[in-house]
Amino acid sequence: MTLIRDTDLQQFAGDDLTMFDFKLADTAPVLVGIMLGAGWYAGVTSLLSFPAAPLIAATGGVALAAIGAGVVAVRQTARRHAQLLLPMQRKLQALEAHCVVSMVDTDGLLKDVNDLMLDLTGYKRADLIGQPVEVLYDREDKALAARIRSQICEGRTWQGETRLKDASGRQIFTQTTIMPLTGRGGTVSGSISVRTNTTHINQLLAKHHTMDTLNELRDDVWIVNAGDWRISYLNHAARTRLGCADGELPREALEEVAYGAKLCDVMRACRALQGSGDSGTRLEIVHDGVPLHVSIKQLGTPQAGARFLILMTDISDQIAQDRRKSEFVSTVSHELRAPLTSIKGALGLLLGSEDLKVPDKALALLEIAHRSSDRLILIINDILDLDKISHGEMLIEMQDTDVASLVQETHAAMQILQERFDVVVEVTGADAPLPFLTDPNRFIQVLTNLLSNACKFSPQGGRVTIEIEDNPDHVRVSVQDEGAGIPAAERCKIFQRFADMTNSDRVAKGGTGLGLSICKAIVENMGGSIGFQTREGAGTNFYFTLPRAVRAMPAPVLAATNSGRTIEGPQ
Amino acid sequence: MIKIMHVEDDDDIREIAEMALSLSGEFEVVQCVSGEAALARAPDYHPDVLLLDMMMPGMTGSETLEHLRKMPHMANVPAIFMTARAQHADIEQLRDNGAADVISKPFDPMTLGDQIKEILQAQVGQVCGLRPVA
Repeated sequence: MTLIRDTDLQQFAGDDLTMFDFKLADTAPVLVGIMLGAGWYAGVTSLLSFPAAPLIAATGGVALAAIGAGVVAVRQTARRHAQLLLPMQRKLQALEAHCVVSMVDTDGLLKDVNDLMLDLTGYKRADLIGQPVEVLYDREDKALAARIRSQICEGRTWQGETRLKDASGRQIFTQTTIMPLTGRGGTVSGSISVRTNTTHINQLLAKHHTMDTLNELRDDVWIVNAGDWRISYLNHAARTRLGCADGELPREALEEVAYGAKLCDVMRACRALQGSGDSGTRLEIVHDGVPLHVSIKQLGTPQAGARFLILMTDISDQIAQDRRKSEFVSTVSHELRAPLTSIKGALGLLLGSEDLKVPDKALALLEIAHRSSDRLILIINDILDLDKISHGEMLIEMQDTDVASLVQETHAAMQILQERFDVVVEVTGADAPLPFLTDPNRFIQVLTNLLSNACKFSPQGGRVTIEIEDNPDHVRVSVQDEGAGIPAAERCKIFQRFADMTNSDRVAKGGTGLGLSICKAIVENMGGSIGFQTREGAGTNFYFTLPRAVRAMPAPVLAATNSGRTIEGPQ
Repeated sequence: MIKIMHVEDDDDIREIAEMALSLSGEFEVVQCVSGEAALARAPDYHPDVLLLDMMMPGMTGSETLEHLRKMPHMANVPAIFMTARAQHADIEQLRDNGAADVISKPFDPMTLGDQIKEILQAQVGQVCGLRPVA
């Protein structure tokens, strides 16, 4: 269906639209008129003999001639109309063939749409006619549709870009002109919209813009075909690194290019990625003294022409910034420790010296201050640990160790905490040596933390049990308490930083809120896992597992562990 | 009586260490406010143990020890570092640089004397020729 029909135009212009012999047609009525006029004059003058006869004859002749001239004038007007309307008709036909056209009534309901609209949107005509025009608009342009309608109601034409959506929900960009239709008296009776589909242009522009942006990036961007290992794209930074002129690509395969540019690690990573089935990989390399972070992404499938997208980012600034931050944290921590040494030392002397007579009330206050200084030390230690974890600098020194003796040592070192919280700590499964490959200091750090939590959250007079399970492929160390258990809402964030219960609870128990997240990082760095089982009102069992060492350890070595190691239990 | 040369720039920490070590009556402490002061005092003093703060303005603890070791009577005196940066790697590095051991800050004043004695006894066990510590 077309909105602008030939018949409409023909009706408007008359049948003369099809007549093209204008000269002959124009002269014939005049000649006929003159001839009729002359004949009329001759006939009347010869037949009538009264005095007025010549006058009547002349009048009639002139009248007939005038009729002929009038016919000519009418025909000329029709011809002029036809001359004007024909190009208009062609223009409208061209518009119809090129543009998406729709008409809307005053209620904003679609009255008509052309075939191109149906082709573009995938709707059937029956789906659209009578529907609000907003059904054609993309969700992001619904508000725009309302603004356009408001402008049309004021009798003003609107032009701009609109986003429509097709029947499957895909976005269509259109360049649009919407004109109000006016009835008698100039009142708006609806609107006609003429649109050009610019989706493809927008995509091209976006692509062009993307390419421009890629070129402006400081990072190297490489695209390599996985099939023949040829480089299909390099941005400006990558070209500069490889010494390629703009618009040129290396003819060699990636292997040669990478070898020449001393980027063999990148090539190896691509090959490894291709065989791994993973979608991406990352590595850090140093190229010409510059540290680079390399991210490789495998795009597409082998059938559809797989490609590697390689991004190389200069991380010099980031490394320098991280170093400055780390130094700052370390320096601040150190600077905090110096006055803390004095505070803790002075308090320790006051509390511990028998020579200094401290009143009981003052003693209680001193103990609070001493505990708080201990807590501050724990926080500083945890912050330092977290800083190392976040920089991947946590030092794990695995060595053959008797984990049973580590458990006994930790238990002994925590005696003060047991007395403070009035709990009994028992150990099971640590009677015989249990050789394992682990970092003894980190093992003690984790167990101390779990044990400390268990004591803090146990009821007065409660029992805490440390249990070691020797399994074929791993050792499992668990700490069971008789506390209130972990509320369901807290369980999912228990290993997050500052997430152990509410702040007030944590402060009351003397925790830092960092311990469990540090424990998790330590255990995972040692190749193990950490978790817990809890039931509200029945206590919690925190456990960690470590994989068994492949190499068995000779028994005499067991006794020689731990020399020079310090165990820092809560004081 | 165990003779200690304590090198520490922080006045409060020096005072607390001295008070802590004086509790048992087993230690005689000479205090130095810097590495330079220690080098100036060292020729006239023959300590049984050096107690060195690691982080000091001017000469660090390690640099101070390096200079002290050049004096014949200081060549084998056990050196204990006290540091707030008592990370595992730092401790290992200090041991490599000739430290008998490391005491981390903040230290417990009530056990400081015992810690020093334990370290000295361990040294006696490892190296022949040193005087036994009471």
